[in-house]
Amino acid sequence: MAAVDGVSIELREGEIVALVGENGAGKSTLMNVLSGLYQPDGGEVLIDGEPVRFRSPRDAIARGIGMVHQHFMLIPPLTVAENVVLGSEPRRGGLLDIDAARIAVRETGERFGFSLEADAVIEELTVGSQQKVEIIKVLYRGARVLILDEPTAVLTPQESEDLFSVMRELAAAGHTILLITHKLREVLAVAGRVYVMRRGRLVAQVNARDSSELELAALMVGDAGRPRSTPSAHGTRGAVLLEIEDLRVLGARGVPALRGVSLKVHAGEVVGIAGVDGNGQRELAEAIIGLLQPTSGAVRLGGEPLHRLSVGEIRRRGLAYVPEDRLAQAIVGPMTAEENVALGRDRQLPFARGSLIDFAGRRARAAKLLEEYDVRPPDPQARIGSLSGGNQQKVVLAREMDAAPKLLVVVQPTRGLDISAVRAVHARLLSAREQGAGILLISLDLEEVLALSDRLYTLFEGRVTGELGRAEFDEKRVGALMMGAVEREPLAPRADA
Amino acid sequence: MPRPPPRTERPPWTRQALPSLLSVALALLVCFIAIALSRSDLGVAARAYLEMIWGGLGDIPGFLATGDWSVLTRAWGESATKAALLTFTGLAVSAAFFVGLFNIGAQGQMTVGAIVAAVIGAKVTLPSGAHPLVAIAGAALAGALYALLPAVLKLRRGVHEVISTIMLNWIAVSLVENWLVVGPLRATASGDLSRSGTDEILATAELPRILGGLSRLNAGFPLALGAAFAVWFWLRRTTRGFETRAVGLGMNAARTAGIDIGARVYQTMALAGALAGTAGAVWVLGTEHKFPATLGASYGFDGIAISLIGQNHPLGVCVAAAFFGVLRAGGTRMQLLGVQKSFPELIQGLALLFVAGRLIWENLLRRPAKRMASEAEAPRA
Repeated sequence: MAAVDGVSIELREGEIVALVGENGAGKSTLMNVLSGLYQPDGGEVLIDGEPVRFRSPRDAIARGIGMVHQHFMLIPPLTVAENVVLGSEPRRGGLLDIDAARIAVRETGERFGFSLEADAVIEELTVGSQQKVEIIKVLYRGARVLILDEPTAVLTPQESEDLFSVMRELAAAGHTILLITHKLREVLAVAGRVYVMRRGRLVAQVNARDSSELELAALMVGDAGRPRSTPSAHGTRGAVLLEIEDLRVLGARGVPALRGVSLKVHAGEVVGIAGVDGNGQRELAEAIIGLLQPTSGAVRLGGEPLHRLSVGEIRRRGLAYVPEDRLAQAIVGPMTAEENVALGRDRQLPFARGSLIDFAGRRARAAKLLEEYDVRPPDPQARIGSLSGGNQQKVVLAREMDAAPKLLVVVQPTRGLDISAVRAVHARLLSAREQGAGILLISLDLEEVLALSDRLYTLFEGRVTGELGRAEFDEKRVGALMMGAVEREPLAPRADA
Repeated sequence: MPRPPPRTERPPWTRQALPSLLSVALALLVCFIAIALSRSDLGVAARAYLEMIWGGLGDIPGFLATGDWSVLTRAWGESATKAALLTFTGLAVSAAFFVGLFNIGAQGQMTVGAIVAAVIGAKVTLPSGAHPLVAIAGAALAGALYALLPAVLKLRRGVHEVISTIMLNWIAVSLVENWLVVGPLRATASGDLSRSGTDEILATAELPRILGGLSRLNAGFPLALGAAFAVWFWLRRTTRGFETRAVGLGMNAARTAGIDIGARVYQTMALAGALAGTAGAVWVLGTEHKFPATLGASYGFDGIAISLIGQNHPLGVCVAAAFFGVLRAGGTRMQLLGVQKSFPELIQGLALLFVAGRLIWENLLRRPAKRMASEAEAPRA
């Protein structure tokens, strides 16, 4: 599957262009081609009408295309000036000419209205200032086109405003800015033209002035409202399995990630969580499985509180978890497929006999699962790190389902998988539901959420902004709720909720 | 996106061992050149190496000439005694690597074990069969507790284990050598001889000599081999060993799968400390028969080199320990030619340096084989 398929865009001097799309729409791939990290399989990049080929980011910057990454590429103990010139240092007699660097930083800053101390140490700067250093870095290298990848993801609203005025200054000075984001409000505030991508293709080009958040959201999501498969289990949903009440969790930087989330999952239903990345989805999943301790609120499984239980104990009580970050959290890359199948259940039958590993039992169970889940190669002794992402995910799913969980929490289960693997994963989730398991599906792919869920909640800035039954699924309404729109009429509490 | 081609087999042991073998060979070569240059004589270097081999493996020409077995067994005893200590400390470092920790503290853990063994050996009266066992158990326990300190600091407070184990080494040395051995535990003077170190251990506590009067080879050597086998068995055959490897290779995935990270880290560090503590006991009970004024030898630090050269595999540790045990026992014979006896340590140090540059070896070795396990179970030291 092509990540970017036949996309053409053009950037004019002195304009701010936004590129929007859901996760996996192909924005990052496109920008990596522009900045020289990836080579296109077809098509070309023209600068001033002249075709160019970038073999590396160095080539791209030499032609005036600079990239400001979402994750800063700065060296914390060095000063602003040192970071800016790093890699293309001004020299005098073979030594670093730090004075020239200071002057260059100051001049670049002054030209575009930054106020940055050249001798300040990076680690003492705010995140917003660090980002400005990144921008100065590309300007210092002579960039005329700046690609900003999710620049406001880490900024406070005030810092974002600041950044927008810098962007306007740059555009006024003749620079071109390509803003990649999925925050539609910002797009409308700062960009001139907006390109919308979906599933690797360019689906629309609109003027920000004539557009609205709702229109953009609808374009991004597409006609995803129509479910691909019609879940059949409406009548069979059972008792309440998972109950979350006013859950509050702190995120990575001590900022509240969940601010009072309440929801329920019944046996035999798929409950989707729809939301834009970074609105508390990850923390929700980790608080349920026991990796994060909530600051307040309750999580109950079958009526029993899970508070302060270990991950192992929570799993023994019937919870299974497919984490978002497969490589870091779900598999141990250097171990074999069968070892990964046993991971966490290695002291139970058929993986152990007493305190020893039961190699034959483990091999047999792993071989059966790999066969059943169509993992290729179906070799229990293959190192799992050598399998493709889709096959790794099938092994993870096989392991989690093999534990016969009462409740399965899955986060982004099909991220980065090809179509056939996506289908296989979806079919497995639905069949687990048929067998009476409850499933909490947290995904950034709205199409996936709409296709699989019997019910969904929208999550925005750590709060539930809406709850919709399958009959009410409507991509525009979901999109608006995901972007923080609050329903006019208060949601009537459901009879069973 | 590009993906590495599927690779289903594990690298054969030869591929895992090759970087070490080449590193040792290179170290031998560099040292040979160093000796030759320092004496500006190739012949001296060649004869020095030969002396080292005869010193470590036994004077084979002498044996052939006289038929006297003791010529061989004496040398084997010296080599095996050193190899046993290196095996224990090498395993102590390797064990910590299994959970991804770098145990620089084997020296301190060994010191603590040695003093406990010396005290139990000298002050406790027990029958000869049980006495060494009790002394070893006490030393292992002391080493284990001492190694748990950095583990607790790491998990509770985030203190890096490299820093804490290094500092705990000095604390152990200061407490034991600068206080206990010269203070409360100093040998009681007998007659007009003033003695250094602690009291001699009782005869019941001495590790039995396997070959009687033929050699100083003691029960420490088979004990070390047994320990290596036990570590391998634990790591590869038990569920807890499996979980331990999972923690070392993918801590987040292990945690998410419900494995108790803390329990695995504590258990493994305790094992590491117990192995180093046992090294101390074997050294006191088998060789010194008391805790001398200072530990003198740096077997704990040597364990780092042995572990890395042995690629953190229990068998690899045994082979590396045996090899350097032979070189070190033989190194003293080089003095006969006026060559420094510390050259074996230089060889060991260089071999470690070359092993640490394993990425270079792997790139060189990859060329014909295209791709080998870059994620072999080794630390990112």
